[in-house]
Amino acid sequence: MSQQNNKLLIDVGSTYFKVSTNDNIEQHFRDFNKDILDDLIHRCGDTIKRFDKDDVYICSSANGGLNTLIIGITKTYSLKYATNIAFNSGINIIDTILYQNIAEYSVPSDLVDVVIIVGGIDSCAGLFSDSLYSYLAKLSYSNIVFVGSEQDAPALKEQISNLVVLPNVIDNKLHIVEDYLKEYLTNLYQQDIEGKEDIKSLYDITANQIYPTPYIVNKALPEIDTRYSVVNPFILLDIGGATTDIHYSKDLVDENIVTKNEFDRLVFKKLGVFKSKQSLIFTAKNNEFVYELLMHLKVTENIFNEQSQKATKILMQLAIFLVLCKISHYRKAYINLKFLTINSFVLTGGITKVLTKEEIENIVAFFYKKILTSEHRPVVVLDSNYDIWTLGVKGD
Amino acid sequence: MKVVTGVVGNDIHVVANRLIDLSLRARGFEVFNLGVNTYLEEFFDAAVETGAEILLISSLNGEAEGWGREVKLLKAKYKDLDNLIMMIGGNLVVGHGNAEDIVPKYKNYGFDLVCHQVDLNTGLDSLEEFIQKRNRK
Ligand code: B12
Repeated sequence: MSQQNNKLLIDVGSTYFKVSTNDNIEQHFRDFNKDILDDLIHRCGDTIKRFDKDDVYICSSANGGLNTLIIGITKTYSLKYATNIAFNSGINIIDTILYQNIAEYSVPSDLVDVVIIVGGIDSCAGLFSDSLYSYLAKLSYSNIVFVGSEQDAPALKEQISNLVVLPNVIDNKLHIVEDYLKEYLTNLYQQDIEGKEDIKSLYDITANQIYPTPYIVNKALPEIDTRYSVVNPFILLDIGGATTDIHYSKDLVDENIVTKNEFDRLVFKKLGVFKSKQSLIFTAKNNEFVYELLMHLKVTENIFNEQSQKATKILMQLAIFLVLCKISHYRKAYINLKFLTINSFVLTGGITKVLTKEEIENIVAFFYKKILTSEHRPVVVLDSNYDIWTLGVKGD
Repeated sequence: MKVVTGVVGNDIHVVANRLIDLSLRARGFEVFNLGVNTYLEEFFDAAVETGAEILLISSLNGEAEGWGREVKLLKAKYKDLDNLIMMIGGNLVVGHGNAEDIVPKYKNYGFDLVCHQVDLNTGLDSLEEFIQKRNRK
């Protein structure tokens, strides 16, 4: 233990960073006119100086991470498996394309960090043809990986330059094989972090590997009960400045995916309260229950134009509601959680500094009542001292 | 040949499913058993991923009708399943019914072979006959 006491833990987010020593946690809004390292030194230079490079641990979600586009042949297997692996590797998904209809999909204009092509068990062949190649010709991407039928790999390799071929994510029993793709994506993420000039400079103050924040959080979850009396099954919401992450116990989904993870992760990329505030408001305005929710919170739509602590609170409450909608039967994402069996809602991240437990319970109750017409009320747990994150970094 | 099999919908009667798996293997089929509690979309998706030629659905608890009606619509969304041999068996109605009424109805839903309360071996014999006939064509 004595060794662990001497660690300095730093988390760099899109909106703010936090710095934690054994006896203190500081949180600061980032100054975007400054390089991350300068900003850190400016605010917490004295603290940082007290620590040896070996004792400084950093994780980052500052760049929102990598994004991926997944092309697969069915929703139940290839697309679902690759999506699951991507989320659990900390990658954000721009879109999933059902290959048979590929010609009907629009081509994203932004650069895609990594394209994943997947489909078929190894004994199945000839699944892809020209429509794939003509789609890819229109798409700009940095990396491309094939994790489908091994029989199809040579043909694809011939047509697609720089194609990385990995073992199939679907085995001959139609079960998921996670490890290879997960390792590949985690490494890409790592390289991306290291490649970003801003983050790279952080290696001036640490001798340890810089990890993606969601990876750290996910790792901490199996040990969450050492910090909180959380009753399983639970979900964890991390509502950040740019994205919202949800980590959930596997028990909460009826899935054909059988993996080693106890917890899975899901990301909503454009649902944050600062950097992606506009898209949050847009999503809110398209939700038929939001006006009722605003009324329930005793505010009007005008709150969206305000810049105040009150407005931030409302946005965070909205973010909780919208995310819950997205994973319920009401707005099905790729999973559908069994809300009636959730026992605890754990919230971490900046939200815990802004909202009180009662304010969160209020939203959770509204959600259960309106969307699920249920009186079920999971226990709300606030990770207001970043214990989960600390657990994750220290566990490394 | 590859066969995808399983029990449709919320049905959890597993015994027939195990027997079907074993019998098909004994007859030399390559079996992808999705087990009980399998939804239509999962059956079709599994056929796509495995390149299966046959889909053998069973239903015991009386749910089949409801699902049967959705088969055509859903299958039409798939571009490469036109040659899939579709078979269904078990208890295909709620309560009692006779095969003369049931078989045409399910054929109309898009099934090639319909086995209402037919013994498994008899059913699988008819499947093999069907395959032979088709190959001769
Ligand atoms: C055991 C049993 C259960 C167990 C199941 C345990 C388990 N996990 O398997 C339990 C108690 C859980 C159960 C629950 C229910 N059951 Co039940 N159950 C039975 C029972 C007694 C035996 C089933 C069995 O295993 N038979 C042995 C196997 C080998 O035979 P089989 O299933 O008939 O399959 C043979 C053939 O049908 C054929 N076959 C099957 N599929 C196919 C496919 C093809 C292509 C072919 C060719 C042949 C084929 O091959 C098999 C071997 O020959 C039957 C009654 C009976 N005697 O059949 C009712 C029965 C199937 N159950 C029935 C009902 C209604 C239910 C419940 C709805 C009861 C309720 N109200 O809760 C629930 C439904 C649960 C659910 N979600 O599915 C009814 C269905 C009636 C209908 N179709 O109209 C039955 C027929 C009883 C009855 N007479 O009312 N059940």
